[in-house]
Amino acid sequence: MPNPTPADIENLIELFNRSDWDEMHLKTDELEIFLSNDPQARRPSASAVAAPVIAPVVMNTSAPAALAASAPAASHATETTIPAGMLGVRAPNLGTFYRAPKPGAPVYVEVGQAVEADTEVCLIEVMKLFTPVKSGVKGTVRQIVVNDGSMVEYEQLLVIIEPAA
Amino acid sequence: MTIKRTLVANRGEIAVRVIRAAHALGIEAVQVVSAADRESEAARLADRVVVIGPAQSKQSYLNAKLIVHAAMQTGCDALHPGYGFLSERAELAQLCDANGITFVGPAAETIDALGDKLRSRAIAGAAGVPLVPGTDKISSVSAAHSAADKLGYPVLMKASAGGGGRGMFVARNADVITSSFDAASNEAKEAFGDGTLYMETYVENARHVEVQAVGDGRGRVVHFGERDCSVQRRFQKVIEEAPCALMPAKLRGELHEAAVKLLSSMKYRNAGTVEFLYDVNRQAVYFIEVNTRIQVEHPVSEQVTGFDLVQMQFRIAGGEPALPRQDQIKVGRHAIECRINAEDASKNFMPSPGRITRWAPPQGAGIRVDSHCHDGYLVPPYYDSMIAKLIVTADDRPACVERLRGALAHFEIDGLATNLPLLRFIVAQSDFAANKIHTRWLEQDVLPGFQQDQA
Repeated sequence: MPNPTPADIENLIELFNRSDWDEMHLKTDELEIFLSNDPQARRPSASAVAAPVIAPVVMNTSAPAALAASAPAASHATETTIPAGMLGVRAPNLGTFYRAPKPGAPVYVEVGQAVEADTEVCLIEVMKLFTPVKSGVKGTVRQIVVNDGSMVEYEQLLVIIEPAA
Repeated sequence: MTIKRTLVANRGEIAVRVIRAAHALGIEAVQVVSAADRESEAARLADRVVVIGPAQSKQSYLNAKLIVHAAMQTGCDALHPGYGFLSERAELAQLCDANGITFVGPAAETIDALGDKLRSRAIAGAAGVPLVPGTDKISSVSAAHSAADKLGYPVLMKASAGGGGRGMFVARNADVITSSFDAASNEAKEAFGDGTLYMETYVENARHVEVQAVGDGRGRVVHFGERDCSVQRRFQKVIEEAPCALMPAKLRGELHEAAVKLLSSMKYRNAGTVEFLYDVNRQAVYFIEVNTRIQVEHPVSEQVTGFDLVQMQFRIAGGEPALPRQDQIKVGRHAIECRINAEDASKNFMPSPGRITRWAPPQGAGIRVDSHCHDGYLVPPYYDSMIAKLIVTADDRPACVERLRGALAHFEIDGLATNLPLLRFIVAQSDFAANKIHTRWLEQDVLPGFQQDQA
């Protein structure tokens, strides 16, 4: 099979979104795609794969036009890519990202720290409503992508974790 | 303009419309989108896009806290709610007020007061606006007979304790009251534990008319004429026009005056619409409700008056003396709007989301298309099925209907089912051209024929 074009991949994702399938796994010589409706799923259940995971949502890659200096910089478009074999913790909704439960308190996690799937790694605040975000996977924190106190959008990458072998 | 940057808290064609109005005034636009609308036309046009949540409206467009949070974090000093979604929830206006963001709409208390049907009826009554004539409690057949004689037949008996048709009947003469009164009272008692009935005038040949108005928040309100939205299906407007061509000038004057009186009594701020039932047989209008937002069908009023109502919303919200004098607002020509929906009228109006493979709207003098769609656009399945508004303007109603027929005939949309076949069928009816329609005309007189035609 020839390698799919970006449009092919979009079509596949659309097909998947409209289907009632739980998972879709496609592998060619140079590409592997894994789609799942389970937010906990990280890779095809059958085989361990090192390829990056694509969530069933197409990210907006068009850069928004620059606004005046008073606006916080848009970070979503220039998103960090997740290195092969690592996983991303993403924002469950729009809000303000905090690394610590309250000002002055120790941060939830540091880079290099080992985490369990239920370890809280950060906090998202919306109008004084605070939601802790869990790692979702056992492993090691490799990168904190977002600056403390900045706005994050829905599904924005927050923290990169290297899963335990 | 004091407003520098607005948040657009809506999607689809109205988001596009609001962004364009903002840009025309030099206001930057921040568009909030759900994950399903990242690639939408509004997202492309906006100066900045913020993804606030997943596709489901409840977790995105209906979450006032997320939206106001996004507005604050992106440095917006105003927020435009569009129509639908949160536009008539006082909560959104309150959150904006509490956080120093100018809500482009009425005061939160106004939205609250007019959102409650009984309160808005009381406000209208106090302002001297005509309500559907009715009675207090009626406890016997003989009392019902004398009340009906006073009101005039036909009358509608209703249960005071509830709705849903229980305890309700239409009486065209005294005999019907005699034979139905006790049964209706018992039915109401069964259903609501209270058998009390009351009576209202039954409006048979009703048209839906509404007055577009804008207030400055200090008591001055002007109107932009009326609209006739009588082509409806299940209380959803399908075709709207301005003006209401068959209304006599005297009644039209009274209609406008009633709407202005009602809104100025509340010191109404920004755009609003007062809806009325127009009883053609009795040549009377009765108050229904006030919509405290810009409406879907606002373009027909723009077309016949020449004012851009969405721009005016921003200017009023920004504190500019933007309200024209009443004598500066002249209604000329005639405009008709059709709502184009992604739905299959031959399959019980089932929504038909999907990829638009060809988008070719009509063009020409007097033709306006408000839409967010284009070739290759994927209509998502999560939201309202309206994909465009076709607005046609001409010197008078007959010329407008003629132009509309042509425009609908040349509107090409491929890839999904739309209601274009139904719209073409409606405007081909001789009753439509003759303007002999009422609010149940589409369902009663047109749809059966359409379904046969499609079979």
